[in-house]
Amino acid sequence: MLGLATGPICLASCGPVVLPWMLVQPRGVRVHARQLSIFLAARLAGYLLFAALIWFAGLAISRSWTGRSWVFGSVQVALAAGLLIYAVAWPHAGCAFRHTHRNRLVHIGAPPDPRPRPTGAAALGFLTGINLCPPFLVAGVRAAQLPSLPAALLFFAVFFVGTAVWFTPFLSLGVVRRTPSFLTVARLAAVLLACWYGFSGASLLIEKAIYG
Amino acid sequence: MASPALARPRTPAPPFRSIGRSILLTLPMALWALLMFTPSFQQHGRNSHIGAVAVILFMTTLFFLMMRTGKTYRWRRYFFVALGFLFPVGFIAALVALRGTMSIPIERMVSGDTPFCFMVTPMLLIPAAFTRTVIFPGSILPTASNPHSIAIMIGIWSAMTLVVGKAWCSYICFFGGIEEGFAAFPKHMKIRRLDPRLRLVPWAILLFVVVLSAALFEPVYCMWLCPFKTVTEYPAVHSVETAIQMGIFITLFAGLVVVLPFLTKKRTQCAYFCPFGAFQSLFNKINLFEIRFDREKCVDCTLCRTACPTQALSAESIRDGKTLLNCMKCGACVDSCKKDAAVWHLKGTKVALKPERARLLFLYGAWAMATMFGGSILANSVATMIGFLPFK
Repeated sequence: MLGLATGPICLASCGPVVLPWMLVQPRGVRVHARQLSIFLAARLAGYLLFAALIWFAGLAISRSWTGRSWVFGSVQVALAAGLLIYAVAWPHAGCAFRHTHRNRLVHIGAPPDPRPRPTGAAALGFLTGINLCPPFLVAGVRAAQLPSLPAALLFFAVFFVGTAVWFTPFLSLGVVRRTPSFLTVARLAAVLLACWYGFSGASLLIEKAIYG
Repeated sequence: MASPALARPRTPAPPFRSIGRSILLTLPMALWALLMFTPSFQQHGRNSHIGAVAVILFMTTLFFLMMRTGKTYRWRRYFFVALGFLFPVGFIAALVALRGTMSIPIERMVSGDTPFCFMVTPMLLIPAAFTRTVIFPGSILPTASNPHSIAIMIGIWSAMTLVVGKAWCSYICFFGGIEEGFAAFPKHMKIRRLDPRLRLVPWAILLFVVVLSAALFEPVYCMWLCPFKTVTEYPAVHSVETAIQMGIFITLFAGLVVVLPFLTKKRTQCAYFCPFGAFQSLFNKINLFEIRFDREKCVDCTLCRTACPTQALSAESIRDGKTLLNCMKCGACVDSCKKDAAVWHLKGTKVALKPERARLLFLYGAWAMATMFGGSILANSVATMIGFLPFK
């Protein structure tokens, strides 16, 4: 119930990562379903890791743990790097447009693989999984109070299912036609969001380093 | 010795319409302006009366000239630049009178005293839809300390968007006038070649601000990216973060609103940055008016493309007889076309059949909105400036 209730907040928190990343994927609901599944599975792994940590550390980890800023800042910087790689360096399907001229491939060598790799989805999913958003902290407090580790893991797994329901609308992005302009916009947005995460994460880390 | 072509005396172009007919067509707009400013005559002091009379005369004269000459962009620009440069005068004076400073303190934001700006509209949508929360530190309904409430501005924006679509950006947006003014200063472009892909940047910024505003529950554009904070109001500088914000505002304003328009003669902020402009472009799809190109008359001289202040024309779009989605119907292309190939068009009718009728229909709507919204801003600013004069 907590996952379902806080789903919109989870969606809003992960939206800046998921939306531009999904938009630069090739067209097709099946491709999107596959990528989203990998993303969510990696996110679940992040959740379970956090559940285990939080159960061992107790409530302190989510309430007054001084290292929270380090984790939050580092995760944001890593997310920025992930988004930048997707937007700039990853040889995604957009390259197919660049290499196509009058319906013929004009580049020399093997054509680029239009299928997106699972590593990007897994990395972004894991990082958003351990990104400390408000619903996540609420769930963390509840999980830390549970009597056993399996109970904490189960709690986070069910919490994950509740929030994951809200991600299914992203599949509809698979039917949107990918034009070169569309892909350029998605990549530019990913760069801007990467800049934001980088700035935000770096600010947190600098602040922590100066003021402790 | 001059060539025969140069030696031939230039004959002025005949007026588009007779004086009598132009006056007749201007009459409804003059009456509308009088109607709009009637409350000013009933309530306020002498300065407001002078401001109202000046604006009625100004708006009516410009409309008359549009009717008489058949030119739209040329005369609209006087109004639009005046709006852009005078809006900050009235707004800042009101802020200083109310708070004693241009900056908005955090207590004022908490109490919902921030005047609502239409730029925030696209950022409100997702949080409002999912959580029924308005992520702007303003009040929903007007209050004594904040008459520019969210409900009123959204209402005005919705009504005007239905009537004029993206033409909001060339008849109503008080920010666009500033850069149009700077773009009008130089005689020639200093920078001629601009990458057409830059047109996509506002869409990326729109996506960025909408998604991030939903995540952070704050209007990201206003907090970090609005160039016009420089000439309106800004968060009080009290930390490194607010100092960085202020630095971004000033840099964007200087670059996109002053320097680049001066060098390119384009509205660079509107064309290559403004996310609200991109959002507003979507409403061009449902608006009745548009600019079309008569392919039989077009000689591909590219005068229209050069004249367009927002790069809303491409070779492909002209070949298709259309503008791009980001056309703001300023009329620059129609005014510049020597072959009458660029025409105003009412959707659902045959292209170039009665373009002047389509232009008139559009202008009555757009100018009425401009008089109502921009006119009241102009009148207020004129009244404020009269108040600054040393003599009474």
